[in-house]
Amino acid sequence: MLSFVKAAVGGFTGICRAHGHQGPLHSHLKVLTAGLQTHAIPPDFSDVVLPEKPKLKPTKKVPNFKTIKKEMKNLQDIQGPATAANTFKKGRYAIVAMGGGYLHWGHFEMIRFTINRKMDTKRAFARWRVNSPYKPITRKGLGQRMGGGKGAIDHYVTPVRAGRFIVEVGGKVELAEVQEALSQVAKKLPFPAKVMSRESHEAMLKNQAEKEQNNQNPWTFKQIAQGNMLGIRRILSPFDVRTHGRFTGKFYFPGRV
Amino acid sequence: MAATLCVKLLPKQGWLPLTQIVRHGSKSVTRHRRPMHILKQKLMAVTEYIPPPPAAPRGAYPSQSRKVKEGSPLVLLMKKEMGKVFQENKMVAVAQNNGCNAEDMMMLRHSLYKHDIRVRFFPNEVARLFLKESIYCNMTPLFMGPTILIVSKEPKVKEMLKTLRGSPQMTLVGGCIENTLLSVQGLQNYSKLPSVTVVQGELVSGLTMMTSRTASLLQRHPTHLSALLQQYIKQQSSDAGAEAAPKAEEAT
Repeated sequence: MLSFVKAAVGGFTGICRAHGHQGPLHSHLKVLTAGLQTHAIPPDFSDVVLPEKPKLKPTKKVPNFKTIKKEMKNLQDIQGPATAANTFKKGRYAIVAMGGGYLHWGHFEMIRFTINRKMDTKRAFARWRVNSPYKPITRKGLGQRMGGGKGAIDHYVTPVRAGRFIVEVGGKVELAEVQEALSQVAKKLPFPAKVMSRESHEAMLKNQAEKEQNNQNPWTFKQIAQGNMLGIRRILSPFDVRTHGRFTGKFYFPGRV
Repeated sequence: MAATLCVKLLPKQGWLPLTQIVRHGSKSVTRHRRPMHILKQKLMAVTEYIPPPPAAPRGAYPSQSRKVKEGSPLVLLMKKEMGKVFQENKMVAVAQNNGCNAEDMMMLRHSLYKHDIRVRFFPNEVARLFLKESIYCNMTPLFMGPTILIVSKEPKVKEMLKTLRGSPQMTLVGGCIENTLLSVQGLQNYSKLPSVTVVQGELVSGLTMMTSRTASLLQRHPTHLSALLQQYIKQQSSDAGAEAAPKAEEAT
């Protein structure tokens, strides 16, 4: 049947060609297609107020403490979940740390340069959610013999715990517009980090709570650790008991409940 | 004595040991994950998250994510069209299209068209949207997978079944005939029924025959009628006697 139609059309065009008015008839034979498109309504940014200075501010390399003091290593400051700056404040999108680590001045500069360069400053703004480096790290000079006390302060760092926001971006922009810059920054940070929007962050927290609620495993870390079943506290640290096995040191296991 | 000993030996409830093991030498290594104690490894393995089982197998229900936008004018148009189809046609049968190619479909449509039966195509989403609000809402489970509608203004079920027998790709799943939902078996039974005019004729002929026979009996000679009645009474009495005899036997 189809072949018949094709033959008929072919024959028709053949006739046309023979008669010499191929152009106009050919254009009539074209199949015209009409489509209907429905576009999503653009988000309403009428309530967004842009600050005067939308760019990220430069951070100080060295804090201006009155008395400079060498500190101990104190690795607890990157262990476990963040208690500060773990919710959205002004922006809509953020880089969220998924593990602990130290940010030094170089990281701050990298973040600042990348975001200020890639972001449309007329429509979007960015804000720091971490303080400039304040924790002193000491190093001994090159070629120096061991001993002779603690070395001199080499540089300063900012400790970051899992779940802490690094940078927030807001304004009259959608996620797709700032995703590239933020994800480019996120993969260069010294800890696993994710780009999140307000919605996705909320969804992540909700998912975590739901998982805790609907866990089909009757044995949970929390229950076993708190109940000291079979004397398991012997090998668990108070940190484990507190964080229910979701962390080992600075590392975070997002899949665990 | 024994009791006091037992009390002393048994650990008290809700009491933590006074001597706690102080861990030495375990520094927080931050470069890499510290090797876990084997017991902790076991504990972590035992306390893995187990998700709840899925309520229904996948594909059992239409996906929640793919919802038709009701506001779309095209969908509204198709919905209206479908309403018209249901209003105008007495027979609306639903068939599943299992990989029927274009040529076969064309042949099928052609052979159905001979009996003035049409084939209509509607997206299942539109069908569900239409059926949800209409009186035909019980037809909703029929619209699964690639579905076609076979419609005609007169309920020509017999012809439809005959034509569909020739195309194995089409599987009839049910239909709505004169606002009655029928299964495949129901459709087959329906097709076996004689047409309304034939049934009416039979009824009329039956009724007229009884009256004509009575009239003819009455028109015959009265002796014939009396003989017949006598015969009837005799039969009745003999039946009664035959029935009475065993009863009498039972009584004795």
